[in-house]
Amino acid sequence: MSVSCHGAVNKLKKDVKFTIALAGNPNVGKSSIFNQLTGMGVVTANYPGKTVELNMAISHVHDMAVGIIDLPGTYALGGISEDQWVARQGILDGKPDVIIVILDATNLLRNLYLLLQFMDLTIPIVVALNLSDQAEKMGINIDENAISHLLGIEVVKTVATRGTGVHELLDRAVDLASKNVKYKPGVLDYGKFIEDLISEISSEIDGLKICLPYGLSSRSLAILYLEGDSEFIKFVGSNDPQGRVLKIVDGYEERFNVSSQLLNLNIVRERHRNAAEISRKVQKFRTQNKLMSQQIWRLTTSASTGIPILLGVLAAVFSFMFYVGNLLAGLFGKLWQISVSPVLDIVSTFLFKDTIFKKIFEWGFDAGILAALSVGIPYVFTFYFLLALLEDTGYLNSVAFLMDKVMHKIGLHGRAIIPMVAGAGCSVPAIIGTRVLNTKRERFLASTLIVLIPCSARTAVIMGAVSLFVGWQWAVAVFAISLLVVAFSGFFLNKIMPGQSRGLVMEMFPFRAPSIRSIFKKTWFRFKDFIVVALPIILVGSAVLGLLYETGWIWYLSKPLAPVVQWWLGLPAIAGLTLIFAVLRKELALQLLVALAIIQFGAGAANLLNFMTKEQIFIYAIVNTIYLPCIASFAALSKELGWRQAVAISLFTISTAVLIGGLMHRLILYFNLL
Amino acid sequence: MKVTQKTEEYIESIYKLEQKDSIVKPSILAGDLSISQASVTEMVKKLSDDGMVTQSREGGIRLTPKGARSAARVVRRHRLSERLLTDIIGIPFEEAHEEACKFEHVISPEVERNLERALSNPETCPHGNPIPDIHGKTKDVPSDRLSTLKPKQKGVIEKITEEGRDFLKYLATLGLMPQMEVEVEQVAPFDGPLLIKVNGANYAIGREVASKIWVKKVS
Repeated sequence: MSVSCHGAVNKLKKDVKFTIALAGNPNVGKSSIFNQLTGMGVVTANYPGKTVELNMAISHVHDMAVGIIDLPGTYALGGISEDQWVARQGILDGKPDVIIVILDATNLLRNLYLLLQFMDLTIPIVVALNLSDQAEKMGINIDENAISHLLGIEVVKTVATRGTGVHELLDRAVDLASKNVKYKPGVLDYGKFIEDLISEISSEIDGLKICLPYGLSSRSLAILYLEGDSEFIKFVGSNDPQGRVLKIVDGYEERFNVSSQLLNLNIVRERHRNAAEISRKVQKFRTQNKLMSQQIWRLTTSASTGIPILLGVLAAVFSFMFYVGNLLAGLFGKLWQISVSPVLDIVSTFLFKDTIFKKIFEWGFDAGILAALSVGIPYVFTFYFLLALLEDTGYLNSVAFLMDKVMHKIGLHGRAIIPMVAGAGCSVPAIIGTRVLNTKRERFLASTLIVLIPCSARTAVIMGAVSLFVGWQWAVAVFAISLLVVAFSGFFLNKIMPGQSRGLVMEMFPFRAPSIRSIFKKTWFRFKDFIVVALPIILVGSAVLGLLYETGWIWYLSKPLAPVVQWWLGLPAIAGLTLIFAVLRKELALQLLVALAIIQFGAGAANLLNFMTKEQIFIYAIVNTIYLPCIASFAALSKELGWRQAVAISLFTISTAVLIGGLMHRLILYFNLL
Repeated sequence: MKVTQKTEEYIESIYKLEQKDSIVKPSILAGDLSISQASVTEMVKKLSDDGMVTQSREGGIRLTPKGARSAARVVRRHRLSERLLTDIIGIPFEEAHEEACKFEHVISPEVERNLERALSNPETCPHGNPIPDIHGKTKDVPSDRLSTLKPKQKGVIEKITEEGRDFLKYLATLGLMPQMEVEVEQVAPFDGPLLIKVNGANYAIGREVASKIWVKKVS
C-alpha cells in the first residue's frame, strides 16, 4: 500500500493531541518499541519516488490519543541516502512535539552521533537507552542520569523486546509534549572556530527577518547550512538576495585557507569528538566480556570456518523446507480432503445442482484453495519463517561479508546478497530492495539476477512437484541449474555492461538471540501479503481454467503452443497453458496442474504422476523456474528500471527458460536418466 | 632566554601548520590558536625579535632554524605525553591531545629523557604523527592503504582519496575521516572485504574503498 506522506501525516495529526517521532540507528530495536507502543491500524506511507517508508499509528496514554511516527533507521540526518532523507523529511513535515531518540546501549559511542544531530534541530527529545540488558551482560555500565545531566535530556532505560521501560518512556514524552516539564537541552560546542562562524551566520539569518522553515532556530539553520545540506543552502540562498551569508562563509574560507568541504567535515568531526567525550564520561566498562555472540560472529566470518558454516546453513535451510514443507503439504491435503471437500461438495450441489457451474465452483473453491494452501502454507510460510530467522540473528550480514569477493565477479558487492537472498522469498520486494545499491548498473544487474533466483513460489513448485514426485536429488538439480544460470548471466552481463561497481560499506551487527515473537510477526506480515494478494488470483485463475476445461476450450487454446511445449519441451500441451497462467503468480502453475489432476482423477489424485511422467515434471519445473516470474515482478522491474529494461529482462529469461528446458529434455532422454 | 609557555604555544602551532605545507598567515595562526589577529601580530613581532621566526613582506611567518628546534622539542614533549596518557594512564585516544597540551609545558629535559625510555622509544604519537628526536629531527612515517593492513593492526586515517562528496560525507558520519583511528579486525577470505572497527562500531568495507583510505600505522 502506498499512501502519500503529506496526506498520511496530516490525517494522523488531525486525530491526535500530540505527535511523537521515533528515531534511531538501524537495528537498535526501534520497531520493537513502535510495536510495543502501538497496536493495530498501522499506516504505511511513501514519499513519491522513495521506497523507504514511514510507519504511523495511534497510541493511547491516559485516554489521550498520541500519534507515533516511526522514522527509518539511519546513522545521520541529511540528504545523502534515501533513508536519511526520509527520516529528515518525516520530522520536518510531521513536526512532532517530541522525538524519542533510541540509542543502542551496547554501542553508545556510535549512536550518540545521531542524537547530537537531533539536538541541533531544537525539537524536544527524550532518549531511550535500549538493549540495556544486553549492555549489562557485556559488562558496560551506563549512568543514564549522567547523560541526562550532561545533555539536559530525559533518559529512560528500556528493553524493548520485553517491554521494560517502554511505557515510562511514552509517559515522559507526553509530559514533555504537554509542557508539564521544561525542556532545557544542553548546547553542543563545535569549537571556537566553527562556533564563531555559526553565530555570525545565525545573526545574519536573524537579520533577514524571514520565517524559518519547519520552525528551526537560526542556529539550527546555520549548522545545517554549514553542513552543506543542499536543501537549506537553497533556502538561505533564495532568501538572502545580497548573498551575505555566502560572503561570511567565503570570507572564512579565504581567511583561514579552508574549503567548504573541510568546514562541513569539521562539524562532523566535532560531533564525533563530543560523542566520544560524552560516552567516556557516562560509561564504565567492568570487564570486556567476550560474549558468545561475538565468538559466533568470528566463526561465521573467518575464512576457515565461515564457508563450511555457510554451506551447512544452506543445507539446513533446504532440508528443513524439504522435510517440514513436504510433511505439512501432505497433512494439509489429507485434512482438506477429509473435512472441507465433502462440505464444499454439498454446498456446490445445493447451489448449482449438477450444472457446469458446480464444476467451476469446485475448480475455484475446492481445488483452488487446496492448491493455495498446500503450496502456500507449507513452503511459502516456511521459507518466510527461515528468512526472518536468518535476518534477525544477523547471519545475513556475515554472508554479505563472506560473499563480497564472489559477488564482485558478477559485478555486485556483498551488500547485494541481502536483496538476492530476499529474492528467494519474493522477487518484488527484492527488486525494490536493490535500492540499497549505489549505481543504476548494480541495480540492473541485481534485478536481473533476482528475477532468475527461484522465489518461494517457484521453490514451492520445485518442492511440491519435483521433490515430492521425482525425488529430492532432482529438486536439488533444479536449484543447481537455476543458480548456474544466475552465475553465468551475472558473469556475462558484468562483462558486457560498461562501468564497474562501487565498494561495500556496511555496518556489521553483532549476533543477537532472535525473539520468536518478532520472527513470527515478520513471517506473518509477509505471509499475509501472500494470502491477500495471491488467494483471489488463484481462485479466479482456477475458476477460469475450470471454465476453459469444462467447456473444452482449453484444448483449442493449447494448440498453438503445441510445437514449443510438446515438441521442443516434451510436455503435455495443457501444461504449457498452466505455465502461461503462472504469469499471474508462479505457484499458480503447479496449483492449476494439481487442480487439473484433481478434477480429472478425483480428490485423491493430487498425484501428478497420473498426469505427467517424472521427466516431464522435472522439465516443467525448470522452465517455470527460469522464465520471468510474474506480472508483479514485471511491474516492479518497470517501475525501478523502466519498461524497456523490464521487457529486455523478460525476453532474456523466457528464451533462456525455453532453451534450457528443451536441452535438458533431450539430454535426459538421450542418457535415459529418468 | 627563558621560553615562556605562550611562546611555546605559538611556535608549536607554526611548526604544525608548516608541516601541513600551508603558508602560515597571521589569520591562519589566529584561527589555529583561537585568538584575535591583533594579538597574533603583536606576538609575532616579539618572536621575530627573539630570532624564533621571520616574517615575509606578504605576511607569511616562518620558523628560523633556532625556532624550529625549539618547536620540535615542544612537539616532542607533547607527543611523548600523549603516548604516556594513552599507553600507561589509559586516557582514550581522542582525549589525549587536550591533556597533553598542558603536559608539554611542564616536562623538564630529564623527565623527557626518562619518559622516552619508559615508553621504549616510541616513533609516533597515538595519532600516528612522528615524534621528533632530541635534536628536533623527525623520521617520516609513510602512510599505507588501509587495505594492506593485517588483522589486529591499527592506523590513524591520514587522508581519503575519494572524490564523491556525498560518499565522503557518508564515510565521515560513520567516523571514517582523517584523524580517526581504525582497527582491522578481520579480513575476508580470497582477498575479500575487511572488517574494521572505527568509533566503537564494526563495518565491513570492500577492498576498493579500503584502498582509498590512507592510514599511518600505530602500534
